[in-house]
Amino acid sequence: MSGTSRRRLLSAAVAAALLVPLAACGDDGGESPSVDSTKPVELSIFWWGGDARAKLTEDALALYTKKHPNVTFKKTWQANQGYFEKLATLTAGNEAPDIFQIDDNYLTEYASRNVTLDLSPYQKSGKLDTTKFPESLWKYGVVEEKLAAVAFGENTQGLVYNKTKLEAAGQPLPTQGMSWEDFISWAEKASTAAKVPGTQDPSADYKAFWVWLRQQNKDLYKGKELGFATEDVVKWFELWKGARDRKATPTADVIREGNATDITKQLVVTGKALTSWVWVNQLPELQKNTKDQLGVMSYPGDPKAQWARASMYFSVYRGSDKKDVAVDVINFLANDPEAGKVLGTDRGLPSNLDIRSAVAASVTDPAMKTSIEIENTLGKTFGPSPQVPLKGHSTLRSELIKAAESVQAGKASPQQAAEAFVAAVKTAISK
Amino acid sequence: MALTTTERPTRHLARPPAKRRAGRGTRREGVAGYLFLSPWLLGLMAITAAPMLMSLVLSFTNYDILSEWSELKFIGFDNYQRMFTEDPTFWHSVQVTVLYAVVATPLKLAAALGVALLLSRNMFGVGLFRGLFYLPSLLGGSVALGIVWFTMFNRDGSFNSFLGLFGIEGEGWVNNPDYALSTLILLAVWQFGAPMVIFLAGLKQVPQELYEAAAVDGAGAIRRFFSITLPMLSPVIFFNLVLETIHGFQGFTSAFVISGGTGGPVDSTLMYTLYLYIKGFTDYEMGYASALAWVFLAAVGLLTVVLFTTGRFWVHYADGDDR
Amino acid sequence: MKAIRLVVILAIMAVILYPLVWMLGTSFKGQQEILSNAGVFPEDFSPGNYPEGWNHLDVNFGRFFLNSTLVAVAVVIGNAVSCLLAAYAFARLRFRGRGMWFAVMIGTLLLPGHVLIVPQFIVFRELGLVGGEFPYLPLIVPHFLATEAFFVFLMVQFMRGIPRELDEAAKIDGCSSFGVFRNVILPLSRPALVTTAIFSFIWTWNDFFRQLVYVSDLEKYTVPVALRLFIDSQGQSAVGPMFAMSVLSLLPVFLFFVAFQRMLVEGINTSGLKG
Repeated sequence: MSGTSRRRLLSAAVAAALLVPLAACGDDGGESPSVDSTKPVELSIFWWGGDARAKLTEDALALYTKKHPNVTFKKTWQANQGYFEKLATLTAGNEAPDIFQIDDNYLTEYASRNVTLDLSPYQKSGKLDTTKFPESLWKYGVVEEKLAAVAFGENTQGLVYNKTKLEAAGQPLPTQGMSWEDFISWAEKASTAAKVPGTQDPSADYKAFWVWLRQQNKDLYKGKELGFATEDVVKWFELWKGARDRKATPTADVIREGNATDITKQLVVTGKALTSWVWVNQLPELQKNTKDQLGVMSYPGDPKAQWARASMYFSVYRGSDKKDVAVDVINFLANDPEAGKVLGTDRGLPSNLDIRSAVAASVTDPAMKTSIEIENTLGKTFGPSPQVPLKGHSTLRSELIKAAESVQAGKASPQQAAEAFVAAVKTAISK
Repeated sequence: MALTTTERPTRHLARPPAKRRAGRGTRREGVAGYLFLSPWLLGLMAITAAPMLMSLVLSFTNYDILSEWSELKFIGFDNYQRMFTEDPTFWHSVQVTVLYAVVATPLKLAAALGVALLLSRNMFGVGLFRGLFYLPSLLGGSVALGIVWFTMFNRDGSFNSFLGLFGIEGEGWVNNPDYALSTLILLAVWQFGAPMVIFLAGLKQVPQELYEAAAVDGAGAIRRFFSITLPMLSPVIFFNLVLETIHGFQGFTSAFVISGGTGGPVDSTLMYTLYLYIKGFTDYEMGYASALAWVFLAAVGLLTVVLFTTGRFWVHYADGDDR
Repeated sequence: MKAIRLVVILAIMAVILYPLVWMLGTSFKGQQEILSNAGVFPEDFSPGNYPEGWNHLDVNFGRFFLNSTLVAVAVVIGNAVSCLLAAYAFARLRFRGRGMWFAVMIGTLLLPGHVLIVPQFIVFRELGLVGGEFPYLPLIVPHFLATEAFFVFLMVQFMRGIPRELDEAAKIDGCSSFGVFRNVILPLSRPALVTTAIFSFIWTWNDFFRQLVYVSDLEKYTVPVALRLFIDSQGQSAVGPMFAMSVLSLLPVFLFFVAFQRMLVEGINTSGLKG
C-alpha cells in the first residue's frame, strides 16, 4: 500500500489492460512477525454464523489479546449466505483475511488451489498441537497430503424425531441400528397412526446417501474418482420411491421444502414430518424452533458407517504476512482450556478431547446435553473417516438434489435420474 | 420566457425526420458536449471499461477466481464452444429465461401503465396510494421477501387457502417444477413499482395545454389518450420497454430468492444469470461464466438494436430530432 | 366516475398489499409460531420482536440505518448531478462521436454484473478505494461518475420530450450551452431528477451484495447486510426479529418515496420557467 494515487491509477490501468493484476502474487516468503515479538500485529479473521457465535469467538480472541497485548484482531462475521462469494472475491484481490473459517464443502476447492497455508510443518514442530485431537478428526483436514485446515468441532449425522407426536400416537420410537427397510416400515406405520408423514425423504440429501453408501462398502469418493456407480444411485432412488409409494414420506413438494438446509425449514420443526435428517449438533437449535420434544439417533443401518466429521475448520491464508502469529492463534483457540470453555460446542464438539470432556461436564442446556451424549455414544462406534470431498463437491450436492427431485416430482425414472447425476458429477470432479 | 407549445402533438409527429441538424453542431457545442460528458467518460475509463474488458479477456481463459494469476491459461474459444455444443444446461437456462422475459415483461409494463394512469390525476390521498403501490418494489430481493413468497405459495400457504374458498385444492406451487416459474413471474409483475414511477413522471411532463386545446376541439377522453397521451409518452414507454426487457432477461434476484440460489426445483427457475452466477461462484468456473456473460451481452444487445430500430417508427420526440 | 376509479384502485391495492400485510402480521409472531402458522394474524401477539431485533446485535439497528442513509444520500446526489450532465450532452448537444458513445453507454447496461464483481474489486483496490475507515467509497464514487447508465438513459429520454423551441428561444436571448442547461433543461428535468433520486435511494437501500463485499466491520454494516445476520441457514436464526427489522427498514424508503413523489404531482409547466 505505498505510492501516490497517480501511480496507483496508472498501475490499475496497466494491470487491467494486461490482465496481470498487481494484486496477484501471494508468495510464501516475506518477513513474518514472530509470535513472541512485541511489535503490534493486527490479524484479520473472518467467519460465518449467528450473533451467538460472534460473541463467543470475540470473547475467545480477547483472551488471546490479553495474553499477547501486541496482537489485535480485525473481526468480520456474517451469515452463511454470501460468505464464500465474499471470501473468493477477497482472495482474487489478494485481500483474503489471515485466518478464515471454512467447511468440507469448499476445503478442497481452496486447498488444491493453494489458497490455504500447509500447516504440517507447524504440526511437526509442535507449534500447532493436534495430539489431543482424535486422529480421524485432524486427518479430515488433510488435502493432497497437506494439512490445509484445523478442525474446530466434531459432528456427525443425526436423525431427529418428534418424540411428543410419536408418543401421543402411541408409536414406538425408532431404534439405533435398525435397517433402512425396517425404518421405512416404521415410518409407514407412524404416518398412519400420527396422521403426519413418518419421515422426510432423504434421497436428495448427500449426507444420508453417503452413510448409506458406506454401509454398502462404497464411498462418495475414492482417490480422484467417484466411490460409487450408477447402479448404487438407482438403488438409492428406488429405496425412497418405495417409501413414497407406501406413504411413509410427505408429497414431493413438501419434501422439497425440507430439502433446504435451513434449520427453520426442517420438516420435523415445521410439523410436516416426524423425522428429519440433520447433523447432531443442530439439535439444540432445532429444539428452539418447536414446542414438541425432539430426540436424536444415528442414521439407519450400521452406525459404524458414520464418522467424526469436522463441522468447520479454520485455515490460514497462504498470502498472509503474519503466518506464524495466525497459526499460534488457531493453536490457542483449539487447545487453550479457557478459550475452549468460552467457545463451547458452538462449532461442534471441541476437537481437543480434554476440553471436550470439560465442556461436556459444564453444559446445562438439555438439548445440547443430549447432542453431546449422542455424539459421545456414537463416537465409540465411529468408523474411519472418509477422504475430504473432492473439488466439485458442491456440484455433487446440488446435482443430487436435482436428480432426486426430478424422481420425486415424477419427471424422471430412478434410472434416468441416476445416469444424469453420475454424468454431471463426473464432469464436475474431473475439471 | 414562457411556454407556448400549444401546437398539437400530431403536427410534431408529422414533421419529417429532422436529419437536417445531425452532425452540424458548432465547434463550441462540440467542446461543451465533451465537457458535459466528461464525468461519464472518466467513469467509463476508470471504473466501467476496465472490468468489462477484463471479463472479456477472462472469457477466453480457465479463470477460477481462487488460483494465482500465474496459473491462468488462455484456452481460445473453448468456453464458447462448450456452451453451444456440450452444455445442455445452458440451453435449458436460455429457454427458462426467454419464457420468463417474454411473459413477465409485457405483463409488468401493462400493470405499471394501467396503475400510473389511474394515479396520475390529483386526488385525495394520491401520494399515499402511489406509495402503497410502490411498496412491493421497496422490498427488492430481501430475505423477508423470500420467506413471504415461499410461505404464501406453499401447499399450506395463503394462496391455497384463498383457492380453498372456491373449493379448489391447490398445489405446492413454489416447490413444483411445473409451476415454480409462474410464481416467479407473478413476483416480477407484483413489483411493477419502478416502471410505474417512470410512467407517472412521464405523464407529468405532458403539457396540460395540449389537453385543454384538445378539449376545445371537442376530443373525447379516448381520443385524447391515443392522440396526446400515448405519443407524448412514447419516449418514456420506449425507455421502460428497453429497460424492462433487459431487466427481464437479466432476472436474477427473484429466482435467487425463491429457489434459495439453486434454480430448483429441477432447474425450473434456472434463469440465465443465475446459472452464470452458480458457474462462477459455486463451481469456480469464472472464465466460463464470463463467456456466458458476453454471449448474453451479444444476444440482448442485438435485441436492443432491434428495439431501437423499431422505435424509430413509433417513438416521437418533442425535440423533433427523430434519430 | 371518480368513485369507480377509487373502487378499482382499492381493489387492486388489496391484492397487492396482502403479502405485505402478511409480513407485518408475521413480525408479531413468536419464532415457533412463524414456522407453524401460515396465516396473516398472530395467534399469540408478541411485539417483542421489535425491541429484540433492534438490540439483537452488539451494535443497535439505528447504526445500520444511519450507515445506509449516509450511503444512499451520497449516491442520490452523485447520480443526480453526474447523470444529468451526461444526459444533457447526449440529448441536446451535437458533437462528434455522440452516437458511438451513446451505444457504448447502453452497452454497459447489458453485461450481467456478476462477472464484474471480481474485476471491479481489483480495480477499486488498485484505485485505493477498498477498506480503511470509510469503506463506502467503492459504493459511492462510481455514482459521481455517472456509471449507472440506467439514469443517463432515463434522463435522455425525458429531455428529448422537452421541445427544442425552448432552447432556441433561450439561445436567441443570448444563452450559451451552459445557459440553456441551467435555464431550460434543469428546471424542466424535475420529473426525471425526482425519479432518479427515488430509485437511487431505494436501490442503494436494498443493494446487498456489493455492500457485503466492501464493508467488513459490524459497525459499518448497512441495513441489508445486517438483516442477513439474523438468519444463518446452518445455525441459529431469529426469524421474528428479522421480520420486525425488515418492516422497519421499509419505513424510511417509504417515507422518502411519499415525500419525493409529491414533486411528481405538481405539474412542471406552472413552475420553474419564470426566468
